[in-house]
Formats: sequence, structure tokens, C-alpha cells
Amino acid sequence: MNLLVFAKRVPATQEEELRILGDGAAVDLSRVPFKVNDWDAYAIEEAVKTVEKTGGAVTAVSIGDAESDEVLRRAIAMGAKDGSLIETEQVVHDPHSRAGLICNFLKKEALPYDAIFTGVQSEDDQFAAVGGILAAKLGLPYASMVIGIDAFEADHAVVRRELEGGLQERIKVALPAVLSIQSGINEPRYVSIMGVRKASKVERKVFKAAAYGDGLKGMIDVVKWVYPQKKGGAAMLQGDLDDICKDLLGILKEKGVYQ
Amino acid sequence: MSFALVVSEVRRGLFEERNLDALGLARLLGKETLLLMPEGPYGSCGKLADVIITAKVEETDFLNPLVMAQIVRKVIEAKGKPDVVLFTGSSSGVELSSYLAGSLDLPLITDVSGFDAEKGVFLKSYYADKIFGEFKPKEGTFVLTVRSGSFKEHARTAASAGAVEVLEGIAPAPGRSFIEYVEEEKSEIDIAKADFLLSVGRGIGSKDEIPAYLELADALRAVLSGSRPVIDKMWLPKPRQVGTSGKTVKPKVYFAMAISGAFQHIAGMKDSDCIIAVNKDPEAPIFQYAHFGVVCDANKLRDKMKDIAKKG
Repeated sequence: MNLLVFAKRVPATQEEELRILGDGAAVDLSRVPFKVNDWDAYAIEEAVKTVEKTGGAVTAVSIGDAESDEVLRRAIAMGAKDGSLIETEQVVHDPHSRAGLICNFLKKEALPYDAIFTGVQSEDDQFAAVGGILAAKLGLPYASMVIGIDAFEADHAVVRRELEGGLQERIKVALPAVLSIQSGINEPRYVSIMGVRKASKVERKVFKAAAYGDGLKGMIDVVKWVYPQKKGGAAMLQGDLDDICKDLLGILKEKGVYQ
Repeated sequence: MSFALVVSEVRRGLFEERNLDALGLARLLGKETLLLMPEGPYGSCGKLADVIITAKVEETDFLNPLVMAQIVRKVIEAKGKPDVVLFTGSSSGVELSSYLAGSLDLPLITDVSGFDAEKGVFLKSYYADKIFGEFKPKEGTFVLTVRSGSFKEHARTAASAGAVEVLEGIAPAPGRSFIEYVEEEKSEIDIAKADFLLSVGRGIGSKDEIPAYLELADALRAVLSGSRPVIDKMWLPKPRQVGTSGKTVKPKVYFAMAISGAFQHIAGMKDSDCIIAVNKDPEAPIFQYAHFGVVCDANKLRDKMKDIAKKG
């Protein structure tokens, strides 16, 4: 089995205060650290785990600037055989543009694959759409929110999709297919700094995105970036930690859940 | 003809409530509404749209993106191109919408939670709700998925049911087939029954912090639950997950520590009587939904609170 896994470098905005620049023209990410998209780490792990059973190899692919090589090194440290960077300085917001670029790349470079893995979504734009658009463009079956792979045979896979409220559905998908992997499907293996350093000795190919731009057109425009609407919000407790804790215990008593 | 096509989400004989958000947005756009459904016992939802299109296919095929692309093609053949195709914001909604947008080469905006009629822009979340983008699709038919809870107040029930039209001749898709539903394993602890939940998020830092939170939960006689990242990282077991893919809870007190408040989490706890949130980030979305908030390191507050609670 040859598996391709697409992974993206994203800003780690979880604990960052984000600022909008120039009346909504852009979001300031200049001081935000970057990392591998969470969902993609699960996708890489699942791809590696799969070929550990079936044999074959995983190739990691990333779209982004030269810094995205970090994603490939990490994927290789996790067990991917090699990596390819589709290099572009542009930030691609439209999932159509991203999927179209991948589609052109796969056709032109004729990379062999039995399945393509992606994360369900990326943490920054949260479109959750690249995998589905890509599958349709390639004329392949698609499944998203994949939370378990029960079988991976030569011509089909049996996977479980996560639905709502703890429910899952088990489906059969003919291969080759595109599978978008949900977080929590596995425990992405730990890689040490040494491991990532060692991975930098493995070849990563660089392709210029401009070579795969045929027929690509953005279909949506971002008019403006805005902050979320405030909804009134919480009464904020102030003071030293001791006082805050006493206040909180007071609230719990008042609500009748603590004596 | 100018109309909105709303693709309903139906599962195990139920017309999901989140369909009302897609229907509500269709109304807000001022469009005649066509509701697409499979054949089945879905009750009185016929009054929610101007026209009901019933596709003669099994419910599980209807929810198969390969089949849905074919169904929408047939709708277009019969009725012309809609102005907009709307899907629910759910596991199936994201799958169906993206595959359809790719199949028919249509612009797609997902997770739409707002619409500005004056500017003609759709609001879409970025960076876990810290920022929103105002998006505009290019010319022609476009596809949207609609965030649950965003537009349901705009859905309208008419006095009589819309006209029903039947769509036939839909072929199964050999590339993907439904096998069965899999229920979550039963657990001893039902967090949905607890009066007081102490809930932790990824901001606590590591699994090593969990025992101290269990101690605090004991001291407060609360039940410990967690947000998605905590379950994904296997710091807590799945039955303790609060959120759309876990459990929806309504305790007397929901005490959220180091949870930033992703929308899927908020949807699972926002109806709690009292929400207390502790987070390092003063801009964390959860403070918008909480009744009481504290900006500080949750682990420090935990230790202090544990000391005070134990002393009585």
C-alpha cells in the first residue's frame, strides 16, 4: 500500500490573543508560533500505522512556504518514507484552490497511491472541505470524520465515521479513496528533537506551486476580518487567588452544589 | 427560477433539529425553499418549506456523498440551478457539502454562523472563533454549511405542507456503502446526570495534571468531565466528553477549567444553569457564555481551591 498524507503548518493560536490589522485587511500572525495541524498529526499516525500492517510506504505532502518543511520532517520522524513540499508564499483560503492545486500536482507528477489521507480540518481556517473537494475532483470515493479503520484490504477499506452524540457508522469504501481523519482516532507517536533532526537527512522534494496552477480560480473572497460579537459575557472575578477561590466556593454554595 | 435547496439531515428516522438552521438561513436570504429529503417517516416537516422533494432512496444512501452528488444533479435537471444549496453543520453535512462542491465545481463556505444582508457576506469562524471572516462567493450557485443554533429562529412553519415532488431513478454508488451503526460503549458514569461538573480542557497542559483535578472534583463532590482535546489525547475516557460529538449536559453548575470554548463544546454545555470559566486567555470564547469568569492559570487556581475546600 502506498499512502499519501497531506499535512499543513498552522499558527498555534490556542493561547494567543489575535489582532486584526488595517481595518480588517489581515490577521496579525507575526508573533504566533507555528506547528503541525493537530488533525494532520492524527492522519500521519494513522497512515503510518496502516502501512505497518499492510506493508508499503507513506509519503507526506505539504502545501506552504519553505517553513512547511518542518511538517515533512516531523512526518518522516513519525514513520513516513519521504516528503514533498508544494511551495507557495501565498496563503490559500479557498478550499477549492487548495484541492485544485493538489489535484493538478497528483496528475502531473503521477504519484502512485492506494489512498490519500488528510486531517478532517485545519485549526486555522476550519473549512473541513479540502478532502471532499479533492475526492470529487479525482473521481474517488470519500469518507470524512474517520474515527477508526477496521480493515484495509487491496481493493477496499472498512472504516468508522464519527457522527454526533457518541454514535458512529461503519462503512465500506472502495480503494483508492480519500479519507479525512478525525482527531482522537489514535495516539500520535512522540517524536524527539533528535528524531526530527535525523529525519532532515531524508530527501524531501520541493515543487513550485506555480507549475500546477492550470485552471485554478478562487471561488470565494474574504471581504474583511472581524472580531466575534460580544454577547454580554461573564462577571469577571478579580483579586488575589485566595479571595477568588473563596468567592467561587460561595457561588457553588449559593447554587446548592457544595456545602 | 430563484430558489434555495436545503438538503435535510435525517438519521434513523429522525429529522434532525439542526435542519432548522439551514432552513432559517434560506428564509433569511429571502428565497423560495425546496427541502430535499429521502423517503421515510419524518413527520410534519413538510410545513417547513415551499416544496418538498422526496428522493426515492434509503436514508443511508441519501447520506452518502457519492449518491447525494447524483441526487442534486437530478434536482438541477428537473428544477434548474438553485441560487444556493444549504447543508447542516454536522459530520454528514461537511462530508456531503464538500463532495458536492467538488463534483459540481461550486463555491463553498462552511460553518456559516452569520449573514449580513446589507453587505451580502457570510460570517465564517477562523482560529476556533477568535476571528471571523466575512466571505462572499463568486457568481452563480454556491454551497453553504450552516452552524447549528445560528439561524433556527428564522425558520418558519407554514399553515399547510409544501407541495411534494418525487425524484426517481437514483442509482446506488458502488464506491461506498453503509454497513451499520455503532453505539458508544456503556459507561458507569453518566456525566449528563450530574448536577455539578468540573470540566477540564487542553490548557491544563498534560495528563499528569488529571489526578489533581480528580482530587478537586472529590473535594467539591463534582463529577470530572472534559472537552474534546482532552478525550482525543486520552487524558480522560470518551464517556466523559462534553460537546456535540460527546454528551450534551445541563448541570446546575458547569465549572470549566482551561477550556477555551470551541463551538462544538459550547453547544454541549451552554444550557447549564450556571457556567464558571477559568482561562489564561481573557479573549477565550468561553467567557462569552459563562456567568462567572476568572482569568488565571487553571492549575494554580485548582491547587488553591483544593486547599481551601479540604480545610472546610
